Parts: sequence; C-alpha cells; structure tokens
Amino acid sequence: MNAQEELNTTEVVRGSLKRRYAREKRFRLFGLAAITASLTFLAVLLITITARGLPAFKQTFIQLEVTLDSKTLGVGENPDTNELRRANYNGAIKKSLTTLFPDVKKRKDKKALYKLVSKGGQYDLQKRVMADPSLVGETLKVWLPVGDDTNSYIQGNIDSSLPEKKRRFKDNQILWVDQLTEDKQIQRRFNSTFFERGDSREPEMAGIKGSLFGSMLTLMVTLLLSFPVAVATAIYLEEFAPKNRWTDLIEVNINNLAAVPSIVFGLLGLAIFINFFNLPRSAPIVGGLVLSLMTLPTIIISARAALKSVPPSIRDAALGVGASKLQVVFHHVLPLAMPGILTGTIIGMAQALGETAPLLMIGMVAFIVDVPTSLTDPATVLPVQIYQWADLPEKGFVEKTSAAIMVLLAFLIVMNAAAVYLRRKFERKW
Amino acid sequence: MRTFNPEGHTAHAFDVELNDVKHKVMTMGGLVESMVHNGLEALLTMDEVIGLQVTEDDHKANQLELDIDEDCTRILARRQPAASDLRLVITIIKTITDLERIGDEAEKLGRIAVKLSNEPNTPVYYKDLHHLGEHVKVMLRDALDAFTRMDVEAAFHTAAKDEAIDTEYSNFSRLLITHMMENPANVSHALDVSWCARSLERIADHACNICEYVIYLVEGQDIRHSNLDEMRKKLL
Amino acid sequence: MNEEVNPLPSLEQDQTSEQTIEEIVASLGDTVGQPRVDDPKMSVSNVDVFYGKKQAIFGVDLDIANNEVVSMIGPSGCGKSTLLRCLNRMNDTIPICRVSGELTLDGEDIYSKDTDPVLLRARVGMVFQKPNPFPKSIYENVAYGPRLHGLNRNKADLDDIVVNSLKKAGIYNEVKNRLDESGTSLSGGQQQRLCIARTIACSPEVILMDEPCSALDPIATAKIEELIDELRENYAIAIVTHSMQQAARVSQRTAYFHLGKLVEVGDTDTIFTNPRHELTENYITGRFG
Repeated sequence: MNAQEELNTTEVVRGSLKRRYAREKRFRLFGLAAITASLTFLAVLLITITARGLPAFKQTFIQLEVTLDSKTLGVGENPDTNELRRANYNGAIKKSLTTLFPDVKKRKDKKALYKLVSKGGQYDLQKRVMADPSLVGETLKVWLPVGDDTNSYIQGNIDSSLPEKKRRFKDNQILWVDQLTEDKQIQRRFNSTFFERGDSREPEMAGIKGSLFGSMLTLMVTLLLSFPVAVATAIYLEEFAPKNRWTDLIEVNINNLAAVPSIVFGLLGLAIFINFFNLPRSAPIVGGLVLSLMTLPTIIISARAALKSVPPSIRDAALGVGASKLQVVFHHVLPLAMPGILTGTIIGMAQALGETAPLLMIGMVAFIVDVPTSLTDPATVLPVQIYQWADLPEKGFVEKTSAAIMVLLAFLIVMNAAAVYLRRKFERKW
Repeated sequence: MRTFNPEGHTAHAFDVELNDVKHKVMTMGGLVESMVHNGLEALLTMDEVIGLQVTEDDHKANQLELDIDEDCTRILARRQPAASDLRLVITIIKTITDLERIGDEAEKLGRIAVKLSNEPNTPVYYKDLHHLGEHVKVMLRDALDAFTRMDVEAAFHTAAKDEAIDTEYSNFSRLLITHMMENPANVSHALDVSWCARSLERIADHACNICEYVIYLVEGQDIRHSNLDEMRKKLL
Repeated sequence: MNEEVNPLPSLEQDQTSEQTIEEIVASLGDTVGQPRVDDPKMSVSNVDVFYGKKQAIFGVDLDIANNEVVSMIGPSGCGKSTLLRCLNRMNDTIPICRVSGELTLDGEDIYSKDTDPVLLRARVGMVFQKPNPFPKSIYENVAYGPRLHGLNRNKADLDDIVVNSLKKAGIYNEVKNRLDESGTSLSGGQQQRLCIARTIACSPEVILMDEPCSALDPIATAKIEELIDELRENYAIAIVTHSMQQAARVSQRTAYFHLGKLVEVGDTDTIFTNPRHELTENYITGRFG
C-alpha cells in the first residue's frame, strides 16, 4: 500500500517534471531574448555614432606656399601687434591659391577656388605670424585646413557621378583637388582642432574644448557643493535626527525632489540665481548651482542607503568600547559607507554631466567661441554643444555631433569605471 | 509537593525514553518483589522447585539491571538531562543497584530453601521467619509503590518502618540464641536461619534506600544519613 | 543580533491571547532565590524597562559580584538581553526605550545625570553575539579603545596594552605574526576572542557578554568558555546565553527570566539540579511551552 503510494508520487512528479523544465527553459529564453534585444540596440547606437563620428577625428589639410609680403598683408614696415592682428591674411592665402592655379580668371571660378581653403585658415596664419613677427616678408609652406565641402569630397561623401548642378562640389573644384592630391599637397591628419578650439560657425574650425571646459567647471562646482551638503544631510538624517513626523516629511520631500523634472530646476535657477541674486548668465557657477540642486537628492538617497547598509554590529562594537555617537559615525560608519556614497556621487555626477534641460533655462545654450577660464565666464557644456550642433545643416557638423557624443560617452564610461574601481578598492568585508 | 508539566518534553522522544526506562525499573521491581515472596515461600514450605525458580529469576534481574544501566548511560550522553530529569536518571541508576542487591538476598533465601529441602529433618525455627518476612515484604511493596507514584509522604512513611524491622530482627536473633543454647545440636540450622533473617533485614534496608531516593528525586534533597523526622518536618 | 536589536522584542506567547502580559507576570509571583550578594560590583534594583508603551522588564533585582560569572537564561524575548544592554546603557541608542529603577556600579547610579555613558561603557565592556571586529587590522581593533580614552601615553604604551590584551584573551600566540592583517580575516572563534581582547584593552571592571558563542563551533565555544573562566579572576562578568549547558558550565550564579520577570536566581549548581520554581524547572528540563 505504502510502496504503491510512493510509486505513484514518483510517477506524478516525473510527469510534471517535463512541464517544469519546459517552463524554466522558456523563462531563460525570454531573458536571453531581452538581453540580446537591448544589446543589439546598444550596438546599433554605438556603431552608428562611431561610424558617423570617426571621420570628425581626422581633418584634411592643404599645403600652400604663402608669401607674407607686407603689401598683401596691408601692414607697414615694422608692424605692431595690433596691425598684425588686423592684417589681411586671407588675401595672402587667396594670392597663393591663384599662384597655384594661374589659369583661373573668372570671378565665379576664383570664388570656388578660394573655397578650397577653410575660412579659418587665416587664423592659423595669424597665430603663427603673431608668434613670430619676423615672418613678415618671408614665403612659407604651410598646411591649412580645407573647406567643409572639400573635406566632404575627400572623405568620399560627394558622389562625382551626379550632375554638377545637383552637388555642392563643382567639377572644376574636383579637378583642382585631384591635381593637388596627385602633387601630395593634400593630406589627412589627426584633427587636433577638435580638441583645441571652441565652437565656430565653420564646421572644420569647430572644437569641443570650450564645452568640455564648461562641463568640467560646472561639474566641479556641482561636486564641491552637493557632495559635502548631501553627505552631511544623509549622516544627520540617518544617524542623529529623531524619527518623527518632521524627519518623515523631509524624507518624503527628498525622495520627491529626485523625481522632479530637471527643467523645473532650470526655472528655479533662472528665477533665484540669475534674477534674484544677479549672477551672470551662461556661467558655470550658475550651471553648477542648478545641477547641485538636481544631484543633491540622488546623492542623499544613495548615501543614506550606504549608511544604512553598514551592519549595526559595527556600531554596537564601537559604542561598546566607549566611542561617542560622533566618533562611531566618523571612525567607523562613514568609512565603511564611503564606497557606496562615492558610487552614488559619481552616478549623480554622471547624470549632471549629461543634463541639458536646466542649463538651457539659464542661458548656457549661447554660441560661445572662447574657452571659459573662470566660473563666471560665459560657457556651454558638452550635451548643450551636441544639441546645438545637431541643429546645424552642414555635413561637418553632423560628424562633429557624433564625435562630441563619443567624447561624452567616453567621459561617462570613465566616470562609471571610476565608481566601480572606487567601490572595489574601498569595499571591506565584515 | 511539586507538580510536573503534564505536557512533557518538547522533544517527545526524550519522554518516550524516560518512560521506557521507568517502566523497566518497575518491571524489575515487580520481579524482585516476587523473588522475595517466592524465596520466603520456599523457605517456609521447604519447596525445592520454588527455591530453584528464585535462583533463575536472579539472572533475569541481573540482566534487567544491565539493560537499565545502559539505557541510563545513553540518556545521560544524548539528552544531558537537567534538574528533575537528571535526578530521575540518577535515582534510577541507584535504585536498580539496590533492587539487584535485594534480588541477590532473595536468591540466598532460595538457595538455603533448596539446601534444606534435601535434608531429612529440619527444626521448626524457619516458621518463625514468617513474621519478619511479611513485614519486609510489605515494606518492599510500599517502597516500590512510593517510587511508582513519586509519593514523598509514602516514602517517608515506609522509610520509618525500617526501625521497626530492625527491632524485629534483633528480637528474632535473641530468640535464635536461646534456641541454640537449648539445643546445641541444631546450631548449624540456627545459623542458616540467622543468615536468612539477616538477608531479610538487608532487604528492608535496601527498600529504605529506595524510599530515600524517591524523596531526593521529588524534593531534590538528599536525606541520607540525616534525621528522618526532622527532614520530614522540613519538607512536608 | 536578530531579535535582540529589534526595539520591540516580541513578548507574545500563546497564553497572551487570553491574559495580558502584566497579568501573567503578576501570576509569576516574587523572585525565587537570593538576588543579592555581599559585595556587589553592579546592582540592579526594582528595574522596569519600557519600549514605548510595552513593558519589557518587570521589577528586576539582581547583583553582579566581582570574580563571579552571572548567567542569564530564559526563552527568547524574556528580557535578558534587554537587561544586559541596560547595564552599560547601550539601550540609550533606542529612542523609545525607557528605564526606571536603580542600576548602580560601585554604588553610583549609572543612569544619573552625572554619569557619562561613554565613560560608563569604558568601565562596563561588552562582547556581542556576532563577532564584530572592525574591518581594520588586528592591532587597530585592540588599540581603538585605549586610544579613544587616551589610556596610553605613547606608542610603546599602546603596544603593551595591545599585546597584553591579546594575551589575556588567549589569542596572542595565534596572531602575533600578523597584527597588521585585517581582523575580519580571522576565523569566527578568533574574531570573538579578538573582540574580547578589544573589550579588555579598555581595562573595564565589568564585562557583559551577549550570547558570545552562539555563532561559534563547539571547539571555539570551549575556548571562549575557558577564557571566561580565566577572566573571572579579574572582572565581574554577566553573560546572556541560550545554551543552558553553557550557563551551567561557566557561571557561578544563574538567573532565569520569563516574560521580562526574574523568576529565579541562585547558585548555578542548585538551579541545574534542583530549581525551585516550576517555570525554571520546565525551561531547564526542556519542557517549555
């Protein structure tokens, strides 16, 4: 009887085994499918951005023999700095181009010819001459960046089989460039301009240095403001504050703040920091203040979680040997919670780094060429720069946009890696 | 009087083990009681068969003692009893030693009965053992009852009887001496009878010990070698 | 720490469905046995402890004497740990905990306004259920207390204190070559002895132990018990334990708690062979509930 029952149970279980395994397998497949899908999206995103952005890290240069006689430049015999700054370097470049292709006579063709060299080329020249005024009167061989269309053509983005009217790069330009390429007077090099210059209306002269510095200054302000305030808040709330209705209210509000749309913080910043305190517009200090407001709840919440996760036995141990409450917190609890707090902070910082909306409200969206050097200089930040470039039609800016996104992503990855590293390094087992 | 938790131990198996060993002790007590009864009967009726029966039963009693000892050792090792449980186990270990001795004494009675049954003419002194024997039997039965019911009152009452039996024994000894002086030819028989009386007196002593163990088991007070009446006033 | 840290230890037993705890406690009657000793180091008189509205300890009297181990036993939630934590005011950290009655150390009220809990905890050390060394080096673990209280004048002093404490805790030989390794790298038993060394390093007068062996294997437990017996020479010790055998082995006096009431207290020998209260008997023989 008993044996029979047992046999039955075994059979029943065995019968259901198949279904159980099938269900388990199905669930695993779903999970796998979900991961594959998200990885695919990520891969597509990364590949598109990389494919679009990579060319921006290279720039085409044209070699010209430029005669810097004082007549062409329109300066006196012994020009002072001011004169040199205002000198007609563009004329010198144009002259060297016409010397290179003496057959070009028509006004329209000449214009096309001049377009081969970037308008920014003259600034390179200006910089060199101003650094060394003795160059006036000399003839030098210089590498100058090519114009946007030329760049596109050399990158193979312009289909020469199309009818001339349908493309921006005309037949004669193709002829000239092909000839120059044959003479090895056209070269592609690493695009240092991208990292060395601020924004520009010319895609080949535009760089991210300005926005990168803007981002760094803003983040510095954010970090210096939000980290100490958030950690102090978290410690007070977690370790010292009495648990009553007021602290509950504060806690609810902090959690709510974390969910407030960031644009609201932008409006708040505009109303308070700029309109009320009269801080300068577009300045990293205001950006940093606004982003601190936004990051504070994130760091507070993660710091509280980190403090909470410190085992009570450690507190007991410290109290048991006669440490005061403050000593318990600063000697034991805080060091143990630090990895968690740092991780939270870095994640908050990464969030702030990628934030655009609130900064638009406080005017960090302006076109700013100069690299900011102080907290009150007008500046813009990386994500805003990307937003601006994404709006522009030139082919060069499309590349630049992707390249800037790549730089931003690289920063985010570095910050997150730092978070992981810090956590591993300071994590202690108990 | 203490009351014990009727719900028993949380570990039910422990209850089963304790009850088991208690039951064995009672079986052994019953066996020993019947041995004393039979030994006395054999002696009084000179019945060889009953006498041999007692000798045989002694082996059973010895075997039971070994069994119970082993059980107790196992309980001590595995359950680490405390308080009343500890006292119970200790009491059982001691009680069975006394029971085994009682068995030995009963066996002596049986042996002498067997020896007597093979002799032609025996004097009537043996009949005089009847009185003492009945007293001892009652006392042993009361002691075992007190143990079974964990009855301190009864234990005190029974232990007090020991004195009366001692008196009875010394009276009987005096009577024997008179017999021996009157009839020196029967001295060897008189000595045998004296041995029997001695055994009976010892049985009463062992029964008294058992009563003392019962008091220790229930009250946790060791009353050996102290004044019974005083202890009784103190505890009851 | 589980139920001990929980500010509201569950006092519910089956019986409470009909009676309130107060009624049951009242039915337990007076404490059986002698809670007082001739020359108490610490003395607890008529102490009640409340967690919010719930009463966790009901009018407990108990003395802790020098050179003696007092063990406190009883079922979970009987208040033994609560009382232990009152003895060095560890319950101060629980805001809803309220203590009334008198607790004295050398005759001085430890709950008076003049008593600093930090100083008190240096005099009344505590060893916890779970070995809880700081995640720092072995040396730092032991040196923390003395450094905190400024017990050492210089580094050499501190070294002496550390070595002596480790020796007293019977762990020095096992760790002398790796004082700079993390305290958490030791085995459970070693960690607990390290915690005892850490407590000793503050040169306390009383050591409280809250189930110090419950997380340890039998061999480590035996070592700790041996250590407790040695420490008795110099300190007054109170130990809370769930293991009755342990209480029987290490303590000279035993106190049995039930639902926050001290039911019976007396010599360990007597409690374990002949307890006088029925509840003690039932608990000790495993007939509880």
